[in-house]
Amino acid sequence: MDLHCEMMMEEYQAALPELERLLQEVLAKLREALERNEMLVTAVEGRVKTRKSLEGKLALKGAKYATLSDITDLVGARIVTFYTDDVDRIAAMVEQLFEIDWTNSVDKRMLHQLDSFGYNSLHYVCKMPEYDFRFELQLRTTLQHAWASINHDIGYKTGVEIPREYLRRINRLAGILEMADDEFSRIRTEITDYRRRVHQLVQNGKLDDVQLDGDTFSSYLQARPFDALNRRIAAINQAEIQEVPLNRYLRVFSAFGCKTLGDVQRLVKHYEEDAYRLARHQLGNTDLDIISSAVGVQNICIVCILASGGGKMGLVRFFDAINGHNTQNEAIAEMTFNLAKNLQL
Amino acid sequence: MTTTIQENGNQVLAFFSGRLDTAAAVQTAEEVKPLLEAANKEIILDCTELEYISSSGLRIFLSIRKEAAAHGSKVIVRNINADIRQVFMMTGFVSLFVIE
Repeated sequence: MDLHCEMMMEEYQAALPELERLLQEVLAKLREALERNEMLVTAVEGRVKTRKSLEGKLALKGAKYATLSDITDLVGARIVTFYTDDVDRIAAMVEQLFEIDWTNSVDKRMLHQLDSFGYNSLHYVCKMPEYDFRFELQLRTTLQHAWASINHDIGYKTGVEIPREYLRRINRLAGILEMADDEFSRIRTEITDYRRRVHQLVQNGKLDDVQLDGDTFSSYLQARPFDALNRRIAAINQAEIQEVPLNRYLRVFSAFGCKTLGDVQRLVKHYEEDAYRLARHQLGNTDLDIISSAVGVQNICIVCILASGGGKMGLVRFFDAINGHNTQNEAIAEMTFNLAKNLQL
Repeated sequence: MTTTIQENGNQVLAFFSGRLDTAAAVQTAEEVKPLLEAANKEIILDCTELEYISSSGLRIFLSIRKEAAAHGSKVIVRNINADIRQVFMMTGFVSLFVIE
């Protein structure tokens, strides 16, 4: 190492505390911005270049740098995203956060020829006004990160030049992962569209067009189909209604043979009045002035089971479905059966 | 109405005895405060000697359950008699607790 490089190594040693502070500030700003924008990512990570790594770099191309601050990757940060679309969204976010050195920034995704595949990442060289040093920020997807990490590992471990055949196989994998990345993004977009369409159908009351599943049942619940019944039940004792989750009723409606939200809605309408009669019969002689938002749908299911001849065993299966299998469910079913039998459902 | 709290490793147990009605609820709400502070543990509400529960009592159980859920832990209601079981069922809270 020549004198110029040795001086730069001394400068590096003195600058280490500042470089560490810069790294921590960059990471904190990135994490805070991701949280503010509600963006989930796989990793936000960073490092200050090690002494050994810098020595290697200077040994190779030390003459290229006049001063230490000409080296742009002394501090490096990386954001690894789930989806390719997120790389561009985060890039826009980064452009607002930091000053970008456009001359030294490079979108490696754009460097490939039409018929070539390989390393794919967006590299930004950035600056914060209060620091002398620039830093490098890499943005890539999880799959691009996996490829780059394995490619780096293979390149380093062999220590000899890798034959063309192997390089071709590695780069071929980059092409496959690029296809997988695009497919993941497309799937996410299509699922979002599907949810939006289902929500719209629920809002417009076109429930027969919507298959019953976890997503669609959640949309149905957002339309609060049991509120009117719950309010009638609450009025029996001027009770307050405590909100509780109702998603577990999906499996009950499925067990009733409902295939669409339209089937669920018809069943609800059919048994609503009897469900209210059951509640009035049970609560009318009490001073209980608190009920859960599950009471309406629970009673609908109970009267449906009894009206269909499901009997005590049907009720046990129902309570198993909503409470989880439990020895107490038999006693609860027995009690419910006895309470309801005078109603001639 | 008496309430006794016991800690047992990763569990905290409350033993209720008597009638948890409106009159007893204020004192019971005070007595269960240690449960709310230990809500990161599994909470067991032992009702072997609990004879009756009113809406005020239900509200206490719900506040314990809410605190436990915020800490990702569960509440087990143990050995309830037939009348209390009926209260849980009629009000629709039966699926909110693990009833043993």
